[in-house]
Amino acid sequence: MGLLSIIRKIKRKEKEMRILMVGLDNSGKTTIVLKINGEDTSVISPTLGFNIKTISYQKYTLNIWDVGGQRTIRSYWRNYFEQTDGLVWVVDSSDLRRLDDCKMELDNLLKEERLSGASLLIFANKQDIKGALTPEEIAKVLNLESMDKTRHWKIVGCSAYTGEGLLEGFDWLVQDIASRIYMLD
Amino acid sequence: MEEELPPPQSDLSSPNPSSSIDTTLQKKHQAMLDRLSNRHQSRQKTATTPTTIDSTASFLFKFTESKRSIESLLNNSPNTPDPTLLKSHLANISSSISSLEKLVAESSYFLPPYELRSSLKCIENLKQSLENLNSQLLPKKKFSFKNKSTSKPNPGNLNTNPIAPNPSHIPQSIRDSPGIRNKESQTLSKNFKNFKEIGEFTLSDLDSCEVKLIGCINALFVNKLRNCRVYTGPVIGSILLEEVENCVFVLASHQIRIHNAKGCDFYLRVRSRPIIEDCGGVRFAPYCLRYVGIEEDLTEAGLEEENESWGNVDDFKWLRAVKSPNWSVLEESGRIGCVEIEGSGSIETEVEIEKV
Repeated sequence: MGLLSIIRKIKRKEKEMRILMVGLDNSGKTTIVLKINGEDTSVISPTLGFNIKTISYQKYTLNIWDVGGQRTIRSYWRNYFEQTDGLVWVVDSSDLRRLDDCKMELDNLLKEERLSGASLLIFANKQDIKGALTPEEIAKVLNLESMDKTRHWKIVGCSAYTGEGLLEGFDWLVQDIASRIYMLD
Repeated sequence: MEEELPPPQSDLSSPNPSSSIDTTLQKKHQAMLDRLSNRHQSRQKTATTPTTIDSTASFLFKFTESKRSIESLLNNSPNTPDPTLLKSHLANISSSISSLEKLVAESSYFLPPYELRSSLKCIENLKQSLENLNSQLLPKKKFSFKNKSTSKPNPGNLNTNPIAPNPSHIPQSIRDSPGIRNKESQTLSKNFKNFKEIGEFTLSDLDSCEVKLIGCINALFVNKLRNCRVYTGPVIGSILLEEVENCVFVLASHQIRIHNAKGCDFYLRVRSRPIIEDCGGVRFAPYCLRYVGIEEDLTEAGLEEENESWGNVDDFKWLRAVKSPNWSVLEESGRIGCVEIEGSGSIETEVEIEKV
């Protein structure tokens, strides 16, 4: 028995889900992960590389890969695509100027074959900031309605600063993945 | 261990050695030597663990074999415009690469680190060349279904921005985002002190201006500034700067990201490590702003403490152990000293502080 098949077996038994968090720099990916894990979010440096967090969520174990979003390191995102069950795309809803950038990077990501089966959660983050676009507006800008019909997706407004909306988003993501992967249990 | 004691001692000490005893002793001695040499050999065998050597060698053999066959597949792609043929060919290569990857994963527990690393690198290269080949042979696939979904501009929307022809028409509110834009040679100040609800603020396309922002804001975006001096009160969230040249910034925030800056000085109070990307000739120093009530603003933003992070700069374009040449710490003699600003008007005085 190969190492991979052993790992797969363990994964199935423990109900693990692999979740990849990506998005432009300054969108709040690390803050979201720390907030949902109940950790201090007051000192977070821009992510150079990536962080992995393992979180027990309902009856599942989430392995969250939080990958830095600076332009220089975006080309490394693809190293994390393999075996991804859930994709979380984080948008800074107050950064109006870079929405085109944001759309372009998301479009590129969704072309990726290795992510084609992953459920997609879009967090319209920073809703606490006055002047931030609403989730509906973000959905319009990102042209989400025209996405491939086979993709499971949802957009949720949130604030990593207050914590609002985070659970709603993760609840949907986890349920959606569970219904695909662990249907037979 | 007893066998290793040399029996010849007894041989020598025996006063009258008969020939028969001599031969049996010799036989015994010979047997002992044989046994010892056998043991020695078997010990040597176990010490070198032939299984590892063998399997590493056989792994390398297998790996090189299939690597070579994949490479030849990559190089000898069918020269045909038939997309189904090409697709099956590419799928073939892809599956060979993944089985090679599987082989590496299965062998990873006994492979020496160097072999593991180099074979992973090799797989990465193969994937890359497959990707290149893919885009080269089947280039139009990516674009084919994108055009269908372009949303027709809504004729009912009278406010469509004429300068944005791309399908992603950005909602009306983008023009309403508060900020200072397109100014030249002016002194601009803004006081947020008595604002109940403050959001983000943008500074963009300014040339030779002096900008003073008093009070707390949630987020600050700075874009395309030249020859400017910018002094701001604390920013509760983060600051993002792009394309700034020959400017002086005095900023306080939880996070600060600087992209495409040239020849700028940054006087920062920041909770986390400031980062630069695609920058050159940028210098850093501690925050040095004063205005009436700045202390309470700093406290409100959680920035009352100086934790010296202003000097711990990460350069994303210089991911090496040695220090980046793109930034430096501004020497104390070259710093501007304390800047004192006033909210309402354009009165501004610069005072050198003398620390006791």
